Amino acid sequence: MRKILLLGLTLFLVNAMAFAQGRVITGTVTSTEDGMGVPGATVLVKGTTIGTATDIDGKYSVNVPAGSNVLVFTFVGLISQEVNIGNRSTINVVLESDVTALSEVIVTGYGTQPKREVTGAVSSVKGDAIQNLPLQSFDRALQGRASGVQVRSSNGLPGGAVNIRIRGVGSINAGNEPLFIVDGVQLNNQSNAAFTQSNPLAFLNPNDIESMEILKDAASAAIYGSQAANGVVIITTKKGKQGKAKFEFNAFSGETQPMKFLDILSGPEWYGMRRDAFINSGVANPEANALSNMGRLPSNWTTLTRPALDALGLALPTYDWQREVMGAGRLNNYEMSVSGGDDKTTFFLSGSYNYQEASFRPVDFERGTVRIALTHQATKRLNIETNMNLSTFQQNVPFAVEGSFLGNPAFSASAVLPHNAIYNEDGTFNTAIAGVLGQNVVLVNSYNSGIQRTNTAVGNLITNYKIAKNLSFRSLFGLDYRLLQGDNYRDPRTPDGAGVVGRSSVQSDWRTRFITTQTLNWNKTFNGVHNVSALAGVEYLSETREGISGAGIGFPTFQFRTIQSAATPESVSGFWTGYRRASAFSSVNYDFKKKYLVTVTARYDGSSRFGTQNQYGLFPSVRVGWSLVEEEFLKNSSTISEMKFRASYGLTGNDQIGNFDARGLYGGGGNYSGSAGIVPSSLANLGLSWETNNTLNLGIDYGFFENRITGSIDAFDRRTKDLLLSQPILWINGFSGISNNVGELQNRGLEFELSTVNIDKGGFRWNSSFNITRIDNQIVSLYSGLQFLPANPGIAVGQPVGRSGEGAIFAAEYAGVNPATGRPMWYDINGNITYLPLAADRRYQGSSLGTTFGGLNNTFTYKGFEFTTFFTYEYGGIGGDGQYGFLRENGTRLTLNALREVNDRSWKTPGQITDIPRNVTTNGGNETRGASRNSGTAALLKYDFIRLSQLTLAYSFKPSLVSRIGLSRARIYMQGVNLWTYTDYPGYDPEFTGAGTGQVPLTKSYTLGVQIGF
Amino acid sequence: MKLINKALLSLALTGSLLVSSCDSLLQVDPRQSIDANGALTTPDAMNAALNSVYSKLRSARIYGRDLFAVSDALADVGQTTSNSGRLIGENNNQPGAHFGTWQTAYFAINEANLILDGLSKVEGASAAQLARWEGEAKFLRGLYYFDLVKVYSYIPTAIFEPGVIGQGGIPVVTEGVITSGAALSRQTPRSTILEVYAQIYKDLEDAKRLLGTGTGRGVQYGSGPAASALLSRVALYRGDWAKVVAESTAALSSGVGTVLSGAAYVNGWRAPVNPESMFEVRFALAEESIGVNESLQSTYTALLNLTNKNAQGGWGDFIPNATVRGLFGLAPLQLGTPATDNNNWDVTRNADVRAQLFTTGNTVRGAGRQIENTKFMSKSGFAYADNVPVIRKSEMHLNRAEANYRLNNESAALTELNAFKALRGLPAVTLSGTALLDEILLERMKEFIGEGQRFFDLKRNGRGIVKTTPAVNLAFDDFRILPPIPQREVDGNPNIKQNRGY
Repeated sequence: MRKILLLGLTLFLVNAMAFAQGRVITGTVTSTEDGMGVPGATVLVKGTTIGTATDIDGKYSVNVPAGSNVLVFTFVGLISQEVNIGNRSTINVVLESDVTALSEVIVTGYGTQPKREVTGAVSSVKGDAIQNLPLQSFDRALQGRASGVQVRSSNGLPGGAVNIRIRGVGSINAGNEPLFIVDGVQLNNQSNAAFTQSNPLAFLNPNDIESMEILKDAASAAIYGSQAANGVVIITTKKGKQGKAKFEFNAFSGETQPMKFLDILSGPEWYGMRRDAFINSGVANPEANALSNMGRLPSNWTTLTRPALDALGLALPTYDWQREVMGAGRLNNYEMSVSGGDDKTTFFLSGSYNYQEASFRPVDFERGTVRIALTHQATKRLNIETNMNLSTFQQNVPFAVEGSFLGNPAFSASAVLPHNAIYNEDGTFNTAIAGVLGQNVVLVNSYNSGIQRTNTAVGNLITNYKIAKNLSFRSLFGLDYRLLQGDNYRDPRTPDGAGVVGRSSVQSDWRTRFITTQTLNWNKTFNGVHNVSALAGVEYLSETREGISGAGIGFPTFQFRTIQSAATPESVSGFWTGYRRASAFSSVNYDFKKKYLVTVTARYDGSSRFGTQNQYGLFPSVRVGWSLVEEEFLKNSSTISEMKFRASYGLTGNDQIGNFDARGLYGGGGNYSGSAGIVPSSLANLGLSWETNNTLNLGIDYGFFENRITGSIDAFDRRTKDLLLSQPILWINGFSGISNNVGELQNRGLEFELSTVNIDKGGFRWNSSFNITRIDNQIVSLYSGLQFLPANPGIAVGQPVGRSGEGAIFAAEYAGVNPATGRPMWYDINGNITYLPLAADRRYQGSSLGTTFGGLNNTFTYKGFEFTTFFTYEYGGIGGDGQYGFLRENGTRLTLNALREVNDRSWKTPGQITDIPRNVTTNGGNETRGASRNSGTAALLKYDFIRLSQLTLAYSFKPSLVSRIGLSRARIYMQGVNLWTYTDYPGYDPEFTGAGTGQVPLTKSYTLGVQIGF
Repeated sequence: MKLINKALLSLALTGSLLVSSCDSLLQVDPRQSIDANGALTTPDAMNAALNSVYSKLRSARIYGRDLFAVSDALADVGQTTSNSGRLIGENNNQPGAHFGTWQTAYFAINEANLILDGLSKVEGASAAQLARWEGEAKFLRGLYYFDLVKVYSYIPTAIFEPGVIGQGGIPVVTEGVITSGAALSRQTPRSTILEVYAQIYKDLEDAKRLLGTGTGRGVQYGSGPAASALLSRVALYRGDWAKVVAESTAALSSGVGTVLSGAAYVNGWRAPVNPESMFEVRFALAEESIGVNESLQSTYTALLNLTNKNAQGGWGDFIPNATVRGLFGLAPLQLGTPATDNNNWDVTRNADVRAQLFTTGNTVRGAGRQIENTKFMSKSGFAYADNVPVIRKSEMHLNRAEANYRLNNESAALTELNAFKALRGLPAVTLSGTALLDEILLERMKEFIGEGQRFFDLKRNGRGIVKTTPAVNLAFDDFRILPPIPQREVDGNPNIKQNRGY
């Protein structure tokens, strides 16, 4: 897009060329970026106004008058070059890309702005940076790429949920998701998949993305009003480029691998551990009891001696369930795009296919997309444009996304007792599984089946009309349509299906979102120094969602797997919901000689979600900037190439609550004895309104040594007021809570971004970019002077709220194990040792929200070779891990397997200093009159990690070489994702959200890829 | 040019659409809910609202599990298997491992209150309808209050230490809340225990009067005789012995429910609707099943059904202890070979017909084959769902015998006890004094294994809980006899004091 605009501009500027006599110099301008010709580059004869622009292939021909001997080649985004002609008649130049690119254009709210003039806190991630990563959704790819943007995968499900937080957590009960906008269409990224996690953002092939801009401060985002409290992510997709059709074929293929297998006990080790636990508990016949727990007690055991029984236990076999259900998965991606056009019409067409298996079978992800972008200059004034993204993806669903379900392989694989065989000797499944996990998870997951499908259409139709020289009108109509379908079958041959003789569950869920935006743009320069531009617009959005679901039970045989074969309909349900929003907005930019910059915006939003007394709200903002480099005293500085001070303040809203939360309602429910019931479902709150965020942002953009060093520093204070809190109601009054605007939350932070060109010599180039963010999050106040929320004391004044608003961790501090007895101990509120900590002994310990995070990218290029390493890191979050918690019980409460490192540390002899209590079998594995061993902070973990997220080695063939076989470009690469993680985390992986029980962990992957242009 | 015109025209059209729809610009009404204001103004709505109050009895926190299984786990009639890890804390009488009926019961009470508040506003209702709604709503409110106060407070016949009476009963609310103002401001204190019983009496007497002496709509709904039967139990807890006799007699003479004996009694437990039921909670649809984790069937047995013992069923978390096995002469009995086939196993039994309700389970779960209670075996026709008998008619005999003993009518008490024993295949006894009371309570214990009565029988008689597996000796004065009131209700209500010890 950028290049087309500039091509037009350049042609216009140099139109008045072509005269005089002299030499004719011809040649080709190519860029190092892709080795391709640069269309529209300016070729100027130095010291004259004579020049030309390169054609579509980057070729040029220019008349150089006698006496001139230097050509200047310039193109926006590339570093200009001056070349001495000498006596040559052909001059080919290779322009290097201006990686620091402060001259680039940034997409901002309802428009674009040169980066130099941006006065808010906006981060930009180019599509190139995330190209060809084997990630299903672009939100996951944002991790570590921009300061202030904290990204955490919820789990390792391909196409699963991603938790993204821009500048902290601003809400407790309302959503914390940013607003995602694709080609002007504001998306709803709420996931409603019933049988697995289907990230709605996975509809878009990340390789179709041109750039992503993240509006972080309230002032930049305020033009989006009530949607913008959690920041805004604007996605611009690739557009057609003028010229003959260019084809690009892109493919990569590889495999995913588990990052880690847990080191768990073998059969004999588990036996020994359990035997000792019975001994510790003073139980007679410890060997027999341990064998009985394992279902291996011979019927004649009373005739056997204890040593004989012990020998039986120590001879038990071991089977590796983890490696049976976890393993390598395939990964493939193929795509093809064509772009081109003439001076009136451009087009971009692309299609893609993506397939990835998770480390746990049969979970996978399969997607096909089609994308069309067309622009047509109908008349001099009228331009029409359309962008259409069509996509379907389907996922084989896991038994459960998370949880301690027996049939959930991510839970059971590491927890099932290891002496259980997976298969019988004849190759059939072993169904006699001893221990609490009495199901064969391999059987369960090969017999059950289910699919979740997401069909998405996101598109727009845009009309631009130039009313006058300075005034244009833009009209956008957009659609975000999504259909979710799913079915899930519990096979009657599995324990969960046996009781009901098979169960088929189905889901259909439609979401339709219409949006229209009508804007007027105006700009004018007065006296050559006062630049003014203004924008005014109205917007209307309507969303409805409805769905049906049902389940049937009683199937004739397992071969009948669809709901129509069910004997009995078990449940039928459906729902309808919707909301509307109407808005008007305006923004005015003013600058004086690009030196002093001011932007004022305002938006007036009305939403059907709020109480009738408070449906409308105003969201104003102001941004100012001072560009020092435009000042005389810095204009000729060779050290400082960029220096801008920025300050902004703005107000944004959060409307992420239920569509009817303000209403007092009776809903369906509470059927009894076969007839229907109704139940009071919510209380009316006519005054319910948005949560407001106001953010003060102070920032500096800097550049040194001709922008070989660039970056920015931002400090912000983000305050959320009138929190949409579910205010607890006494249960004796018939309700749990009411959505109310009470309380205040604060996120304070520092962001630092740095990009450097470390070496650029002899064709060798080393670029680095680094970012780090530190955020302090705390509740400033609640309501009625409360210091903590009655229903959840983790929500407390002065404490962080956690990643999902779940509250700070409030627990008694673990004091380790009494060296004399092996009993677990805690500190009471006075710092004394107690075996039975009470509610009053709880202290605040921190939260699941990491406080420090960022990324480090290094790219080395030399003669077509390119080597990239990308690290991400996060620090400061703590919390539980359900899977680790179960395994940390060391088999004492339930007959589950245990971690070797935990069992090794368990207390065995008096005087031993350790943190794992002695094993006992009584009282559910706990000491009499003692708290359970995972109580308090005993099982809390640090979520800190540094991860090598990406490692890429690529080689681009010389264009001159591949052109012989008819190609314009060829590139091959090897890539590894998540190859290495630095952490002392004892569970599968510290990066997840939720309880962590039975969740599919993230995987690493290796791919080989090829990109061919022709 | 034409194109421009078209574009402009379409834009103008859109604009005018936007403007013309301005009135309803932000108007969206839900389609699956109705406005709470005026929701209960039609007879159909009243019927539906009443259904919801009944349906909350199905909750696992109420009769779906806890009032039966948690109650027995707290008492001295069983032990846990650790098969799923459930009920271990309750069985150990660990602090805080207790009932949690508060939220569901109070939600149901609020709904009943809203129905009672709305009676005068229903359009086109007959007098009979009004009487039925009021009668059933009050029956339900009385039942919920009784189930709350017996759990969270001491029982009038045995209140620990006069000085602690102050912590009292439970909050009594009789007006419905449907506005945020009332919901946020009402902070009702705990009434005294006797005030709560007075309210329960009032509701059940009204229900009895309004619902008449007929059989009503079926045993899954409140009826006059069911109200009498419930009053009989409430009076037993209240220590109104004469009232116990009167209400038991009224209930026994009604046409609701049948007292069964011998094989018919055992078969009664195999029928979808136990003929003994005077009021039971109905599980009518497959989707209402509590499921494999918390249903009564799953809690008590690992069997899926009685026809094939090898089929994997529930967890079998809570099983009879040695005391109960001794009462019924239960011991594992191998019927054939191989021993690994669970169908080759059963139990030995004594003459007590109730021993027929126990058998061996299967080896699917970790604890292996155990002797289990089979009162709940998916009788409703789908997995893990059984109608739950809240009051069986047989209880009336036991209530009356105990009341007569207290009224010093020992001979009437003994006669009734022996008659009851005969129904269960047991010989008559000759006892008097405390031994007679103990025998009546023992008969109650045997009759209601798995039905949650034992814990309250101990509690209302001021007796502690003594069991060997697990080793527990919980004196009556121990704070763990009462559960904690949910902390949020104490934190959010300055007028409420937490129960002692929490």
